[in-house]
Amino acid sequence: VFRYFHIRGSVASASHTREDKVSQAALRFLGLKDGVCMLLTILVILGLGLAAGVLVGLMGIGGGILLVPVMVYVLKMEQHTAQGTSLLILLLPVGLGALREYWKQGQVDVRAGVLCAVGMLLGAFGGSLVALPMGQRHLQGVFGCFMMAAAILLWNKTRGQAAPQPSEAENPHG
Amino acid sequence: MAEGKLRDAGILLTAILCGVVSGMVGIGGGVLLVPLLVLIFAFGQHRAQGTSLIALIPPTGILAFLMYARSGYVSWLTGALLIPGVFLGGILGAHLVNKIEPLRLRRIFAAILFALGAWQAVAAWTH
Repeated sequence: VFRYFHIRGSVASASHTREDKVSQAALRFLGLKDGVCMLLTILVILGLGLAAGVLVGLMGIGGGILLVPVMVYVLKMEQHTAQGTSLLILLLPVGLGALREYWKQGQVDVRAGVLCAVGMLLGAFGGSLVALPMGQRHLQGVFGCFMMAAAILLWNKTRGQAAPQPSEAENPHG
Repeated sequence: MAEGKLRDAGILLTAILCGVVSGMVGIGGGVLLVPLLVLIFAFGQHRAQGTSLIALIPPTGILAFLMYARSGYVSWLTGALLIPGVFLGGILGAHLVNKIEPLRLRRIFAAILFALGAWQAVAAWTH
Protein backbone atom coordinates (compact mmCIF):
# COMPACT_ATOMS: atom_id res chain seq x y z
CA VAL A 1 0.00 0.00 0.00
CA PHE A 2 2.80 2.33 0.85
CA ARG A 3 4.46 1.59 -2.44
CA TYR A 4 1.26 2.41 -4.28
CA PHE A 5 0.97 5.77 -2.61
CA HIS A 6 4.56 6.43 -3.36
CA ILE A 7 3.99 5.87 -7.07
CA ARG A 8 0.83 7.92 -6.95
CA GLY A 9 2.62 10.71 -5.20
CA SER A 10 5.33 10.77 -7.79
CA VAL A 11 2.75 10.91 -10.57
CA ALA A 12 1.17 13.87 -8.82
CA SER A 13 4.46 15.66 -8.63
CA ALA A 14 5.33 14.79 -12.18
CA SER A 15 2.05 16.26 -13.37
CA HIS A 16 3.34 19.69 -12.53
CA THR A 17 6.20 19.27 -14.96
CA ARG A 18 5.65 19.40 -18.69
CA GLU A 19 5.95 15.62 -18.91
CA ASP A 20 2.57 14.42 -17.75
CA LYS A 21 0.14 16.76 -19.35
CA VAL A 22 -2.26 13.86 -19.43
CA SER A 23 -3.56 14.45 -15.94
CA GLN A 24 -4.47 18.03 -16.66
CA ALA A 25 -5.94 17.14 -20.02
CA ALA A 26 -8.03 14.35 -18.54
CA LEU A 27 -9.04 16.58 -15.67
CA ARG A 28 -10.41 19.21 -17.98
CA PHE A 29 -12.09 16.62 -20.13
CA LEU A 30 -13.82 14.62 -17.45
CA GLY A 31 -14.08 17.20 -14.72
CA LEU A 32 -12.74 14.69 -12.21
CA LYS A 33 -10.85 15.30 -9.02
CA ASP A 34 -7.09 15.32 -9.06
CA GLY A 35 -6.60 12.06 -7.17
CA VAL A 36 -9.07 10.14 -9.32
CA CYS A 37 -7.29 11.41 -12.39
CA MET A 38 -3.94 10.19 -11.19
CA LEU A 39 -5.41 6.78 -10.57
CA LEU A 40 -7.01 6.70 -14.00
CA THR A 41 -3.76 7.74 -15.61
CA ILE A 42 -1.89 4.97 -13.86
CA LEU A 43 -4.52 2.42 -14.87
CA VAL A 44 -4.39 3.60 -18.48
CA ILE A 45 -0.62 3.31 -18.53
CA LEU A 46 -0.66 -0.16 -16.96
CA GLY A 47 -3.29 -1.29 -19.44
CA LEU A 48 -1.30 0.17 -22.30
CA GLY A 49 1.74 -1.78 -21.14
CA LEU A 50 -0.26 -4.98 -21.17
CA ALA A 51 -1.67 -4.31 -24.63
CA ALA A 52 1.78 -3.56 -25.99
CA GLY A 53 3.04 -6.73 -24.35
CA VAL A 54 0.46 -8.84 -26.15
CA LEU A 55 1.78 -7.39 -29.40
CA VAL A 56 5.31 -8.29 -28.30
CA GLY A 57 4.35 -11.90 -27.91
CA LEU A 58 1.98 -12.00 -30.86
CA MET A 59 4.18 -10.26 -33.38
CA GLY A 60 7.71 -10.69 -32.07
CA ILE A 61 8.30 -6.96 -31.99
CA GLY A 62 9.30 -4.52 -29.31
CA GLY A 63 5.88 -3.06 -28.70
CA GLY A 64 7.08 0.46 -29.35
CA ILE A 65 4.91 0.50 -32.42
CA LEU A 66 1.84 0.69 -30.19
CA LEU A 67 3.43 2.51 -27.27
CA VAL A 68 4.64 5.51 -29.23
CA PRO A 69 1.33 6.51 -30.86
CA VAL A 70 -0.66 5.92 -27.68
CA MET A 71 1.78 7.93 -25.60
CA VAL A 72 1.53 10.76 -28.11
CA TYR A 73 -2.22 10.84 -28.67
CA VAL A 74 -3.66 9.47 -25.45
CA LEU A 75 -1.07 10.54 -22.88
CA LYS A 76 -0.38 13.76 -24.82
CA MET A 77 3.35 13.36 -24.75
CA GLU A 78 5.65 15.00 -27.21
CA GLN A 79 6.74 12.72 -30.08
CA HIS A 80 10.40 12.82 -29.09
CA THR A 81 9.63 12.07 -25.44
CA ALA A 82 7.36 9.19 -26.41
CA GLN A 83 10.15 7.71 -28.51
CA GLY A 84 12.74 8.14 -25.80
CA THR A 85 10.42 6.48 -23.27
CA SER A 86 9.74 3.65 -25.67
CA LEU A 87 13.48 3.10 -25.99
CA LEU A 88 13.79 3.12 -22.20
CA ILE A 89 11.34 0.23 -21.95
CA LEU A 90 13.19 -1.67 -24.64
CA LEU A 91 16.41 -1.51 -22.65
CA LEU A 92 15.01 -4.31 -20.53
CA PRO A 93 14.51 -7.74 -22.04
CA VAL A 94 10.73 -7.38 -21.97
CA GLY A 95 10.39 -10.02 -24.67
CA LEU A 96 12.12 -12.70 -22.62
CA GLY A 97 8.90 -14.35 -21.46
CA ALA A 98 7.58 -14.36 -25.01
CA LEU A 99 10.88 -15.67 -26.36
CA ARG A 100 10.65 -18.67 -24.05
CA GLU A 101 7.36 -19.66 -25.63
CA TYR A 102 8.76 -19.34 -29.15
CA TRP A 103 11.82 -21.29 -28.08
CA LYS A 104 9.69 -24.21 -26.91
CA GLN A 105 8.17 -24.38 -30.37
CA GLY A 106 11.59 -24.28 -32.03
CA GLN A 107 10.74 -21.06 -33.84
CA VAL A 108 14.00 -19.24 -33.18
CA ASP A 109 17.06 -18.74 -35.39
CA VAL A 110 19.73 -17.81 -32.88
CA ARG A 111 22.46 -17.04 -35.40
CA ALA A 112 20.30 -14.62 -37.36
CA GLY A 113 19.00 -13.15 -34.12
CA VAL A 114 22.49 -12.33 -32.85
CA LEU A 115 23.43 -10.74 -36.16
CA CYS A 116 20.30 -8.66 -36.05
CA ALA A 117 21.05 -7.52 -32.52
CA VAL A 118 24.51 -6.28 -33.54
CA GLY A 119 23.18 -4.51 -36.61
CA MET A 120 20.36 -2.87 -34.72
CA LEU A 121 22.65 -1.62 -31.99
CA LEU A 122 24.72 0.31 -34.51
CA GLY A 123 21.81 1.32 -36.68
CA ALA A 124 19.73 2.65 -33.80
CA PHE A 125 22.55 4.96 -32.82
CA GLY A 126 22.66 6.40 -36.32
CA GLY A 127 18.89 6.71 -36.41
CA SER A 128 18.75 8.68 -33.20
CA LEU A 129 21.28 11.15 -34.62
CA VAL A 130 18.93 11.71 -37.55
CA ALA A 131 15.71 11.92 -35.51
CA LEU A 132 16.71 14.23 -32.68
CA PRO A 133 17.11 17.37 -34.80
CA MET A 134 13.89 16.65 -36.74
CA GLY A 135 10.66 18.53 -36.16
CA GLN A 136 8.07 16.50 -34.31
CA ARG A 137 5.34 16.67 -36.94
CA HIS A 138 7.53 15.20 -39.62
CA LEU A 139 8.93 12.65 -37.24
CA GLN A 140 5.40 11.43 -36.54
CA GLY A 141 4.63 11.27 -40.22
CA VAL A 142 7.80 9.36 -40.98
CA PHE A 143 6.95 6.91 -38.23
CA GLY A 144 3.56 6.25 -39.77
CA CYS A 145 4.93 5.88 -43.29
CA PHE A 146 7.53 3.34 -42.23
CA MET A 147 4.86 1.24 -40.63
CA MET A 148 2.50 1.43 -43.58
CA ALA A 149 5.29 0.51 -45.98
CA ALA A 150 6.19 -2.53 -43.92
CA ALA A 151 2.54 -3.52 -43.74
CA ILE A 152 1.98 -3.28 -47.47
CA LEU A 153 5.07 -5.36 -48.21
CA LEU A 154 3.95 -8.03 -45.83
CA TRP A 155 0.39 -8.09 -47.07
CA ASN A 156 1.61 -8.60 -50.62
CA LYS A 157 3.56 -11.56 -49.36
CA THR A 158 0.41 -13.16 -48.00
CA ARG A 159 -1.28 -12.72 -51.36
CA GLY A 160 1.68 -14.33 -53.04
CA GLN A 161 1.28 -17.34 -50.78
CA ALA A 162 -2.44 -17.63 -51.16
CA ALA A 163 -2.02 -17.83 -54.95
CA PRO A 164 1.58 -18.92 -55.63
CA GLN A 165 3.20 -17.08 -58.50
CA PRO A 166 5.97 -18.48 -60.67
CA SER A 167 7.94 -15.22 -60.68
CA GLU A 168 10.47 -14.10 -58.07
CA ALA A 169 9.86 -11.58 -55.30
CA GLU A 170 10.53 -8.64 -57.58
CA ASN A 171 7.23 -8.58 -59.36
CA PRO A 172 6.15 -5.19 -60.74
CA HIS A 173 2.92 -5.13 -58.74
CA GLY A 174 4.84 -5.41 -55.49
CA MET B 1 17.84 -17.53 -50.05
CA ALA B 2 21.57 -16.87 -50.18
CA GLU B 3 23.83 -19.25 -48.32
CA GLY B 4 26.29 -19.03 -45.45
CA LYS B 5 28.43 -15.91 -45.19
CA LEU B 6 26.49 -13.99 -47.80
CA ARG B 7 23.27 -14.62 -45.95
CA ASP B 8 24.87 -13.57 -42.66
CA ALA B 9 26.15 -10.36 -44.21
CA GLY B 10 22.74 -9.69 -45.68
CA ILE B 11 21.05 -10.20 -42.34
CA LEU B 12 23.55 -7.90 -40.64
CA LEU B 13 22.96 -5.21 -43.24
CA THR B 14 19.21 -5.58 -42.92
CA ALA B 15 19.50 -5.29 -39.16
CA ILE B 16 21.54 -2.09 -39.45
CA LEU B 17 18.80 -0.65 -41.62
CA CYS B 18 16.19 -1.70 -39.08
CA GLY B 19 18.33 -0.15 -36.38
CA VAL B 20 18.38 3.19 -38.14
CA VAL B 21 14.60 3.18 -38.28
CA SER B 22 14.48 2.00 -34.70
CA GLY B 23 16.57 4.91 -33.49
CA MET B 24 14.60 7.34 -35.59
CA VAL B 25 11.15 6.36 -34.46
CA GLY B 26 11.93 5.01 -31.02
CA ILE B 27 10.67 1.49 -31.52
CA GLY B 28 12.34 -1.88 -31.19
CA GLY B 29 13.01 -2.34 -34.86
CA GLY B 30 11.30 -5.70 -34.84
CA VAL B 31 8.46 -4.11 -36.69
CA LEU B 32 10.64 -3.86 -39.78
CA LEU B 33 12.90 -6.78 -38.98
CA VAL B 34 10.06 -9.29 -39.03
CA PRO B 35 8.75 -8.38 -42.49
CA LEU B 36 12.27 -8.15 -43.91
CA LEU B 37 13.29 -11.56 -42.56
CA VAL B 38 10.16 -12.96 -44.15
CA LEU B 39 10.50 -11.17 -47.47
CA ILE B 40 14.25 -11.32 -48.10
CA PHE B 41 15.44 -14.33 -46.17
CA ALA B 42 12.37 -16.52 -46.60
CA PHE B 43 11.74 -17.06 -42.90
CA GLY B 44 8.39 -18.47 -41.83
CA GLN B 45 6.27 -15.92 -39.99
CA HIS B 46 6.58 -17.62 -36.60
CA ARG B 47 10.31 -18.12 -37.01
CA ALA B 48 10.86 -14.51 -38.04
CA GLN B 49 9.02 -13.35 -34.93
CA GLY B 50 10.92 -15.64 -32.60
CA THR B 51 14.21 -14.51 -34.12
CA SER B 52 13.22 -10.88 -33.81
CA LEU B 53 12.63 -11.46 -30.10
CA ILE B 54 16.22 -12.71 -29.74
CA ALA B 55 17.44 -9.50 -31.31
CA LEU B 56 15.39 -7.55 -28.76
CA ILE B 57 16.88 -9.28 -25.72
CA PRO B 58 20.14 -7.31 -25.56
CA PRO B 59 19.52 -3.59 -25.11
CA THR B 60 20.06 -2.81 -28.77
CA GLY B 61 18.53 0.61 -28.38
CA ILE B 62 20.93 1.67 -25.65
CA LEU B 63 23.03 4.04 -27.74
CA ALA B 64 19.93 5.61 -29.24
CA PHE B 65 18.34 5.78 -25.80
CA LEU B 66 21.32 7.65 -24.36
CA MET B 67 21.03 10.23 -27.10
CA TYR B 68 17.34 10.77 -26.28
CA ALA B 69 18.04 10.88 -22.56
CA ARG B 70 20.75 13.48 -23.05
CA SER B 71 18.25 15.69 -24.85
CA GLY B 72 15.74 15.20 -22.01
CA TYR B 73 13.29 13.22 -24.10
CA VAL B 74 12.51 10.44 -21.63
CA SER B 75 9.55 10.07 -19.27
CA TRP B 76 10.97 7.74 -16.64
CA LEU B 77 7.78 7.33 -14.66
CA THR B 78 5.63 6.29 -17.59
CA GLY B 79 8.37 3.92 -18.67
CA ALA B 80 8.51 2.25 -15.27
CA LEU B 81 4.74 1.79 -15.21
CA LEU B 82 4.71 0.26 -18.68
CA ILE B 83 7.37 -2.36 -18.16
CA PRO B 84 5.43 -4.98 -16.09
CA GLY B 85 2.51 -4.91 -18.48
CA VAL B 86 4.72 -5.33 -21.51
CA PHE B 87 6.45 -8.30 -19.94
CA LEU B 88 3.28 -10.13 -18.89
CA GLY B 89 1.49 -9.26 -22.09
CA GLY B 90 4.42 -10.71 -24.02
CA ILE B 91 3.91 -14.12 -22.48
CA LEU B 92 0.18 -13.95 -23.11
CA GLY B 93 0.70 -13.00 -26.74
CA ALA B 94 3.21 -15.77 -27.27
CA HIS B 95 0.67 -18.30 -26.01
CA LEU B 96 -1.94 -16.94 -28.38
CA VAL B 97 0.41 -17.03 -31.32
CA ASN B 98 0.75 -20.80 -31.32
CA LYS B 99 -2.94 -21.09 -32.03
CA ILE B 100 -2.73 -19.03 -35.22
CA GLU B 101 -1.62 -20.42 -38.55
CA PRO B 102 1.31 -18.63 -40.26
CA LEU B 103 -0.60 -17.10 -43.17
CA ARG B 104 -3.29 -15.65 -40.97
CA LEU B 105 -0.63 -14.46 -38.51
CA ARG B 106 1.11 -12.58 -41.29
CA ARG B 107 -2.13 -10.90 -42.29
CA ILE B 108 -2.88 -9.90 -38.72
CA PHE B 109 0.64 -8.49 -38.43
CA ALA B 110 0.26 -6.49 -41.63
CA ALA B 111 -3.18 -5.20 -40.70
CA ILE B 112 -2.07 -4.02 -37.26
CA LEU B 113 1.00 -2.36 -38.76
CA PHE B 114 -0.97 -0.58 -41.42
CA ALA B 115 -3.65 0.64 -39.04
CA LEU B 116 -1.14 2.02 -36.57
CA GLY B 117 0.98 3.54 -39.32
CA ALA B 118 -1.96 5.21 -41.02
CA TRP B 119 -3.13 6.58 -37.69
CA GLN B 120 0.26 8.14 -37.04
CA ALA B 121 0.84 9.59 -40.48
CA VAL B 122 -2.65 10.99 -40.97
CA ALA B 123 -2.75 12.52 -37.52
CA ALA B 124 0.69 14.07 -37.92
CA TRP B 125 0.09 15.79 -41.20
CA THR B 126 -3.55 16.81 -40.81
CA HIS B 127 -3.27 18.54 -37.43
